[in-house]
Amino acid sequence: MITRRRSLQSIATGLGAAFGSSMFPDLSRAASLAASGGPKRVIFFMQNQGFDPATCIPAGMTSNSSLAKAKLPEPISALEPFKERLHIINGLHGKHTSPSHSAFFGALGGYRGSDGVAPSASTIDYELSKVLPETLLPHLCIGMDSIENMKAKPTVANLSARGAGSPIFMHSNPNHLYQMLYGGISSGEIRSQHEARSGMLDRIEAMAAAEGKSLPSSDRQRYGEFVQGFEDMNGLRERLGGVSDHLRNFAPKVDDAYANPEFETDWHDRLLDLGVSALKSGITSVLTIGSGRGEIFGAWKGLGVEEQGHNLGHMVQKDNPIWIKIRQYNSRLLVRLMEELESVPEGSGTMMDNTLIVYTSNNADKQHTDGANWPVMLLGNCNGAFKSGRFTQLDGKRPINALYTSILKTAGVDVDRFNMSEQMAAKFDSGSGPLKEILA
Amino acid sequence: MSRLKFPLVVAAFAFSFGSAQAADTYTPGEPVHGDFETFAQGFLDRHCLECHDDISTEGDLNLLDLGPVDETNAAIWKSLWAQVSLQEMPPKKETQPEVIERLQFSDWIVSELQRVMADKGGFNEHLDPNKANFIDHNLLFGPLPEGIELVPTSSPARIWRVTPQEHITRLNELINIEPAYDPEKRGVRTRGDVVPTNHGGELKLYFGTDRITSWAGGTVAYATAVKSIPVVLASNRKHGFENYPDFYSVNSAESTQILDKAENILRYMAYGPLSIVGMPEQITDDPKTYDKVKPPGDLRGLPTAITYNTKIARELTPVYDLMKEDATFTDEQIQAAVDYLFEALTFRPPTKGESDDYVTLVKDSIDKVGKEDGVFMGLSAIFLDRDALFRPELVKEGKADEHGRVMLQDWELGLAVNHALRYIKPDETLKEAITGGKIKTREDVEREVTRMLSDESIRKPRLLRFFRDYFDHDLGGYICKDTGALAKTGAPAGVSHYRAMFDATASTDRLIELILEEDKDVLKELLTTQRVVATERDRIYYGRRYTKEESATALAAKKKEDAALAVESKARLEKVKGELAEINAQLKEKDLDANRKKSLEAKVRRLEGEQKQIARDLKRGRSKVNVTVDEATLTGPAVYARVSRRSFGRDSMPPERTLATAPEGQRLGILTQPSWLVSHSDAMDNHAIHRGIWIRTRLLGGGIPDVPITVDAQLPDEPNTTLRSRMRVTKEEYCWTCHEKMDPLGLPFEMYNHAGLFRTTEFDEPVDASGEIIDSGDPALDGPVTDALDMIQKLSESERVEQVFVRHAFRFWMGRNENLNDAPVLQAAHKAYRDNGGSMKALLTSLLTSDAFLYRKREG
Repeated sequence: MITRRRSLQSIATGLGAAFGSSMFPDLSRAASLAASGGPKRVIFFMQNQGFDPATCIPAGMTSNSSLAKAKLPEPISALEPFKERLHIINGLHGKHTSPSHSAFFGALGGYRGSDGVAPSASTIDYELSKVLPETLLPHLCIGMDSIENMKAKPTVANLSARGAGSPIFMHSNPNHLYQMLYGGISSGEIRSQHEARSGMLDRIEAMAAAEGKSLPSSDRQRYGEFVQGFEDMNGLRERLGGVSDHLRNFAPKVDDAYANPEFETDWHDRLLDLGVSALKSGITSVLTIGSGRGEIFGAWKGLGVEEQGHNLGHMVQKDNPIWIKIRQYNSRLLVRLMEELESVPEGSGTMMDNTLIVYTSNNADKQHTDGANWPVMLLGNCNGAFKSGRFTQLDGKRPINALYTSILKTAGVDVDRFNMSEQMAAKFDSGSGPLKEILA
Repeated sequence: MSRLKFPLVVAAFAFSFGSAQAADTYTPGEPVHGDFETFAQGFLDRHCLECHDDISTEGDLNLLDLGPVDETNAAIWKSLWAQVSLQEMPPKKETQPEVIERLQFSDWIVSELQRVMADKGGFNEHLDPNKANFIDHNLLFGPLPEGIELVPTSSPARIWRVTPQEHITRLNELINIEPAYDPEKRGVRTRGDVVPTNHGGELKLYFGTDRITSWAGGTVAYATAVKSIPVVLASNRKHGFENYPDFYSVNSAESTQILDKAENILRYMAYGPLSIVGMPEQITDDPKTYDKVKPPGDLRGLPTAITYNTKIARELTPVYDLMKEDATFTDEQIQAAVDYLFEALTFRPPTKGESDDYVTLVKDSIDKVGKEDGVFMGLSAIFLDRDALFRPELVKEGKADEHGRVMLQDWELGLAVNHALRYIKPDETLKEAITGGKIKTREDVEREVTRMLSDESIRKPRLLRFFRDYFDHDLGGYICKDTGALAKTGAPAGVSHYRAMFDATASTDRLIELILEEDKDVLKELLTTQRVVATERDRIYYGRRYTKEESATALAAKKKEDAALAVESKARLEKVKGELAEINAQLKEKDLDANRKKSLEAKVRRLEGEQKQIARDLKRGRSKVNVTVDEATLTGPAVYARVSRRSFGRDSMPPERTLATAPEGQRLGILTQPSWLVSHSDAMDNHAIHRGIWIRTRLLGGGIPDVPITVDAQLPDEPNTTLRSRMRVTKEEYCWTCHEKMDPLGLPFEMYNHAGLFRTTEFDEPVDASGEIIDSGDPALDGPVTDALDMIQKLSESERVEQVFVRHAFRFWMGRNENLNDAPVLQAAHKAYRDNGGSMKALLTSLLTSDAFLYRKREG
C-alpha cells in the first residue's frame, strides 16, 4: 500500500510529476550517464509498401540460426558479402500503430499513425539524434519518390517528428539539399543561391534581434529562442563554412542529373550521395531515408518498373520480379552506404564499425497489414553491441518499440520502454526493456 | 537544524512575524518581505511542525530541518505551496491560519522558488492555468477580509505568439478564398472561420482544392497528390488552455520550415495552380483535353494526376502583379508587394522603416539570383517578421497612470480587440477606427466589441476555441483505441471510429455555436441541452448498447431477416445466372454488330458484378439489423458543421448534419456527448479520473496537487472487471485524500461506455453510475448523485459553477491566471452575465472592456 507517509517522504527526493506528464524521461540527461560504446551514428531506411519476410529470410529458415552457411534470397543477395554484419529479425509487431497503408509517424514512433494523423510524440530517429555524439546537423531526413512528387513537393513530413504535432521534413530535391550542405563551397548558381539566402538570413536575424531589445524580461527568454533560431540557422552555415576545407573532401560532384534527371532513381542516388557525404564528413549522426516518403506511392521507373504507386503494394512481393528489382535496388543502396562508411577510418576501425543501419518498412510486412509481423534487418554490430550474422525469429509479442528501446540502450539511454505507457504495454508488449535477442 | 536549537529561532521569528502581523494589511502582487528565519519559519512552527517534526512525522515528513528554499528542497516547498494554497493543510480539524497569513506564506514560497530556480530553468508553475484554481474562489467572489487592499488591475506588457490555428488560418488567406457568410447556410465554413483539421485530424494548409476537377484513383491517391503543407508551429494537444502568451516561442526548426513554405505560398500567390502542376495542360476546364497529353502510365498519387479549372480562386495581389511580367518590375511594385504581404501577415501596415528594410532585402536578393528566385526569397523573410509570429502588447507609447499602468492604444489595442475574437485581419470598420484614432477609450472598445459580437457574418473562431479549450471535447479522434476494446462498445471499427470522432468534434462545435447564437443561459444550456448535432453514424454513438439478452434477441431477428432476404437473393441469383447465360449465348452469335456486342458486354459486366454482390450478401447476410446497439432515432432540421477542405477525395468530411434530440433520459448536455466522453477516455476504457478532474477544476473551481512522482498511477489489469472495481486502489488512505476530489465526480459517467454509447449493463450486471460531490465549496451541492444526469443537473443550477466558468473565460481572454486584484473584473463579468440572462456576449463585453484587458504594466 502506498501511504501518504511514504509518499510524502519520497517527495523530498524528487520533483512531483505533473499529472499526465510525459512517460518518456529526459533522454539528454540519461545519455550523459551513458556507458561508452554502441553506435555513433544510426541510419533508418524505410521502404514503403511493406517488407515481406519472404524476401529476406533464407529459404527454409524458420528458427534462430546463423546466416553463415545460408544463402540470402535473390532480393537481398547483394548483402551476401556483408552477412556477418546482418541480423534479420522476424516477429516484431506493430499492431498498435495502424500500419495498413502506412503507419506514417507511427512507424518510427511506435504509436498509432495514419494518413492525415499528426505525430503524437517524437520518433526514435530524432531521439537518437539528441543523444548520439554531437554533430553540426544531428538529424538529416531524405525522401525518395516519383520525380513529379519530388519536384512539386520537395519537402514532406510523414515519418519523423520532434514531438507531438512537430513533424520533421524530408528533403527530396537534391539541389536544395546540396545548397544547404555545400552551398558555401560550391560555385555557379548554387553559390549565388547560397549567398543570397545567407544575406537574407543575416538580415532577418539582425531585424529580429533589434525587435527583441525592448521586450520585458519575462518575454526575453522566449523571444530569445526565436532569435536563437536564426543564429542556429546562420550558425550552421558558418560552421559548415568553417570546415569547408574538410567538407570539400566529401561533397559529391554535381553532375547533370541534379538539374536534369532522366528517372527518379537519378535523384534517389544523388540524395543517397548527399546522405552518405553528410555521414562521412561528420555533419550528421542520424540519417533517415524514406523510400516512398512514408506514403503508399513512389516510383522506380529507372529500374524498369513501369507500375507505380498503389498497385505495387497490392502485389505479392515474394518471387515478384518487380519487387525483386526494388529490393535489389535497396540492397545496392545499403551496400553503398556500408562501403562508403567502411572507407573512412574511425578509431581503430572504420566508420561502419560504429554505425547501425535499420532497414524496414513503414508498412510492416505488406501494404494491407494489421502489423502482426514487422520484419527488420539490422546491419552493423557497432563494435559488438549488437548480435549479427544471424536470423532471429521472435514470437510476435514484442512491439517495434522494443527494438527502439534496444537501440536507445546501446546509445546509453537506459529506458524500459519507448513511447509506450504501461497500460499499452500490458496489451502490446510481453516483456520490458531491450530485446535480449539482438543485443550482445 | 537540531531540535535543541529550534526554540531559539522560533522565538526570534515569533517576534519579527508578530511585527509583520501588526502591519495587518496585504496587497496582492506586492512582494512579501522577510527571509526564512524572519518569516516562513514562524508559519511552519505555528501550523506544520505539530505534526511534521522529528517526533511526530506525519506522512514521514519532517519539516524541522527543512530550512530556506534551495534547489534540493524545492520540491518540498512546492508541495507546501500547493497544500497551503489549496487549504489542504493545515488539516481542517486544526487551527487555521488567518487569510492574510496564508496568502503571504503562499506568495513568499512562490517568490523564493522563483529566486532560487532562476538559473535552473525557472519556476513558473503559478502561471500555469492548471494552477489557477490555487486562488481561493471565495476571496474572488465573496467579501474580502479586513486588511486586504486591492490595487487596480492590469496585465503585464508582453508578446503573444500566434497559435498554430491562427497561423495556418492567416496563411490560408493568402492562397484561398473562402466562401462569404451565407445566412441560409449558417455553420458552413466561411471566410474568417478557423482552418479545420482534415480527415485524419491533422492541421494542414491546402492549395487549390476548390479548383480541382478530376484526379486519378481514389481517396488516398487524392490525399497524396493534392498539394498541402502541415502546420509548422508547435501544437500542444493536451487537455486545457493552450494559449497563454508565455507558452510558446518559435524555434529554429520552425523558422526554417516557415521560410521554406513561404516560398511555396508566394509562388502560388503569383502563379496559382501553375506552381504546383507538372504540366500546364493540367489547368483546363475540360479534363479530356489533358487526357490527350498527360504522361502515360499510372498517375495515382502524383501531382500530374490532377486537373484544375481555369477559374481564379485566390486574391490577385501585388505579388501576382510583380511576377506577371517576365523580367520587368518597378520599385513601386516591389514596395506594393512588401506592404501587402506585411499587412497580410502582421495585420498592420508596415512603418516606413520596416517597408524600406524589406524592399532592400528583396532587391538585394534579386541582384544576387535574379528576379524569379530573388523576389520569392526576399519576400519570404516577411513571414518571419516578429509581428507575423508574435502579437505585441508592449505599450511603448502612452503615459502611465498613478498605478503605473498604461492603456493599450492604436494598433496594439485594435489588434488586441481583433485577436479576442478573430483569426484574420481586422475588418474595414475596425481598421478605420484604428487608423482614424477612434479606438483609444474603453467606450471605443465596447463599441467595436458590441458591433463584432452582434454581426454573425463576422466570424469569431476564438469564441469556439475557448469552448474547445474549456470542454476539451476535440480530443476524441486522437485517443488511440484498442481494437478489441472498441469492438465491444458497439462503435464502428478502426478508421471509421476516428473519422466519426473528428465529425463529432465538428458537430459539438456547431451545437455550441447554436447555443451561443441564442445567447441565453449559455453555460446552463451547454450543460443540459437535449439537442444534438448529428451525422448518420451518430445513430450508433447516441444509441444504447444492448444488454446480453437484447443482443441475443437482435441476433435472432437478424438471422430471421437474413433468411427471408436470402430467399429473395437466391431467386435473384438464379435470374441473373439465366440472364447471363442468355447474353453469353448472344455474344457467340456470328456477325454480331460491334455496337450491339459492346452493349452486351457491358450488361455482362453489370450482371457479373451483381452476381458477386449477391454471393457476398448470402455469405454475410443482407439484414441491416444492428445486433449490439439500439440505434437512436435522430431526426430534425438539417444544419451544417464546419469541416476541412476536401482532403480525402470526393465527399470527404461532409458538412451536412441533423439537429436532433437525444434519446429521452440518456443524455444531458455536452458532457454526455460522445465527443466529450471519448476525449476523456483511454485505449481500453473510460477515464473516470480525467472526467472527475474536469468537473472538479472546470466546474467547481477546485485544485488538485500534482501526483507525487513515486506514485505508481496504474489501475490493476483485471480483464472483465468494471472500472469502478479496478479503481478501488485509489481508496487507499494516502491516495484517497486527492482521489475523493475526482473519482466520485467521474464515476457517474460510467452510464456510458468508452465510445460514448449509453449502457445499462456492464459485464451483464446493472451499471453502477452513482457518485458524490464532496467538499465542493458550495454546501448546497455536496451530497450523493445517482448518475451523471443527476450530477450535471445539480451543477448546472449552481452560482459557483457559473462563477468558475467566468474565471475560465477570464483566463482565456486575458491570457493569464487571475489574481486577487482581478476580483472586481470577475465579479463585474459575472454580474453582466447574470443581469443579461446568461449572455456570453455580455460576459465577453465586460471582460474585454475591463482594466485587465485594456491596461498593461511595463516592467520596473
